[in-house]
Amino acid sequence: MKTNKVILVSLFLLGTILLTACGAPLSGSSWPGIGSNGDVLYVANMQHVYAVRVADGSMVWKYPEKAGRQMFFAAPVLADDQLLVGDYENIFHSLDPNTGAEKWTFTQAQGDWIASPLVVGDVILAPNADHFLYALSRDGSLLWKFETGRALWAQPVSDGEVVYQASMDHKLYAINIRDGSLVWSVDVGGAVIYSPTLDVEERTIYLTTLARNLMAINTDDGSIRWQRQFEGGMWTQPALNEGRLYLGDLQGTVYALSAADGSNIWSQKVEQPVTGKATIVDNRVIFPTENGSLIAMTLEGERLWSRSFEGKLYTGPVVAGDRLAVGIAEGKEFLKMVSLDGQDLWTFVPPK
Amino acid sequence: MWDALIITPFINTLLFIYNLVGQNFGIAIILFTLLIRVITHPLMVKQIKGAQAMQELQKNEKWIKIQEKYKGDREKLAQEQMALYKELGINPFASCLPTLIQLPIIFGLYQAIISALASTPLDLLRLIRHIYPGLLQVESLIPLNSRFLWMDLGQPERLFIPGLSFGIPVLVVIVVLTTYIQGKLIATPPANPKDQTAAMSNMMNLYMPIFMGYLAYTLASGLALYFIASNIIGILQYAMLGKVNWGNVFPFLNKQSPDTKSAGQKKSYSK
Repeated sequence: MKTNKVILVSLFLLGTILLTACGAPLSGSSWPGIGSNGDVLYVANMQHVYAVRVADGSMVWKYPEKAGRQMFFAAPVLADDQLLVGDYENIFHSLDPNTGAEKWTFTQAQGDWIASPLVVGDVILAPNADHFLYALSRDGSLLWKFETGRALWAQPVSDGEVVYQASMDHKLYAINIRDGSLVWSVDVGGAVIYSPTLDVEERTIYLTTLARNLMAINTDDGSIRWQRQFEGGMWTQPALNEGRLYLGDLQGTVYALSAADGSNIWSQKVEQPVTGKATIVDNRVIFPTENGSLIAMTLEGERLWSRSFEGKLYTGPVVAGDRLAVGIAEGKEFLKMVSLDGQDLWTFVPPK
Repeated sequence: MWDALIITPFINTLLFIYNLVGQNFGIAIILFTLLIRVITHPLMVKQIKGAQAMQELQKNEKWIKIQEKYKGDREKLAQEQMALYKELGINPFASCLPTLIQLPIIFGLYQAIISALASTPLDLLRLIRHIYPGLLQVESLIPLNSRFLWMDLGQPERLFIPGLSFGIPVLVVIVVLTTYIQGKLIATPPANPKDQTAAMSNMMNLYMPIFMGYLAYTLASGLALYFIASNIIGILQYAMLGKVNWGNVFPFLNKQSPDTKSAGQKKSYSK
């Protein structure tokens, strides 16, 4: 009888673990987020935020010391003496970038912090999945909040006066930074996952939507300058460089387009779904793919090199000096440093 | 294979219903659960009949004799049992097979709901790849409206009442209650209340609600809603088949014998 009880309880425990595991993606399924100041990388991955030296991949600190329920994926943002990062337990953290010590937390949001914050002057603009864009002061107190129709997964962009926030509710909002009042909003016809790209000089925002559209929007009034529909889905944001937009689609084509009207300058088949923003560095454009490859091309579309990682890439590499930090999802390792030619420099292994 | 045969069709059906009912995901979950339970109803009937036949067998004289006679010889006992199954036309797997067929469907239903509730970009990318473009339009469908009543179906549910500093897990309480009531209602009196099967059954009735309650507390409330819908529909199914024992939940219904009735009357008269 006692044995039966033990078996029964064990079966329940096993069942609980299995079913909870099935539900795990709800609370923690994303790719590593990376920020850098040139010397140190700040990497949010799973239950920790790590500070890692660019030079040799050694760890400076990790936060929190002991893993808890918190999951971190949004790329940490460095703002002078603060490292800002949100978690998937509704808490927004300010950390000391030198030690990882917690300075303050903001706990009034009701959803996951999927997108990175943006810091404009003394205002921290932090979008949350609870539909609100929160404006915080440097000490973490709430200045104002702006409600949209659905979750916010995209980092906002700003020209210093107005913050532009794309939402899953198919809209792009222009909001006054001083008081959080709406300047204008525009329906872009589909949910926006990735952050828009802002060209302050041209007063234009470029964004992709789940409706397979690439759009250029006038920041003065929200009018659409031009839009272009693609056959393959877009899971990326356009990278802007000298009047050109570089991006790829899920069907495996990469493009260089004119930022003025969206017309093709060149396109190339890479035969892999392009997922994440391309990185432009040293006169080359580097595309990440879901198959785990980095594909480097000249700005005119000639292939320079490609290399594969074990895992998947959902964001382009982060430039740290003359190196590229690669955040890898679903792989054995989640952070690798490579040279601008794609050669391995080091792999980060968190100390136990 | 699993994705193509179970998960993808389930997700598309769920989202098709979601579109039909005006993009209300809570209603879609309830209707989808109902649909799956209706489709698997014949299997459930077979399972109940099989279980009932096995239970009646426990009271069969020949069965009892065989148990006594060969209790020291397992091999012979098994042979004799098989012979008796044949003689009485009972399939000992009749109650197991339908359950086994239902299990992947239930797991598929569970996974489909989880997938559709995509609450991170990566989950959404996976969800989009499951959608049949000919049936549903991603651009108008995404993001799903996960609000239902006071809940966000993608998050664990808590009801916040002004003045209270914590949220009340209302769905958890309903999941525990409906699971407990369902377990009690469909429990049949064992042939021998002292045997191990009866004890196991009692323990299941106790642990199962706690287990389901824990899942409802920690996982997305969309799943808790599915558990509740599934429990209530299950109770109705059993009730339609006349297999619900209301006396297990309302003991006074069992005390309808003349003796107890008159005792009750006497008591009331004495007042």
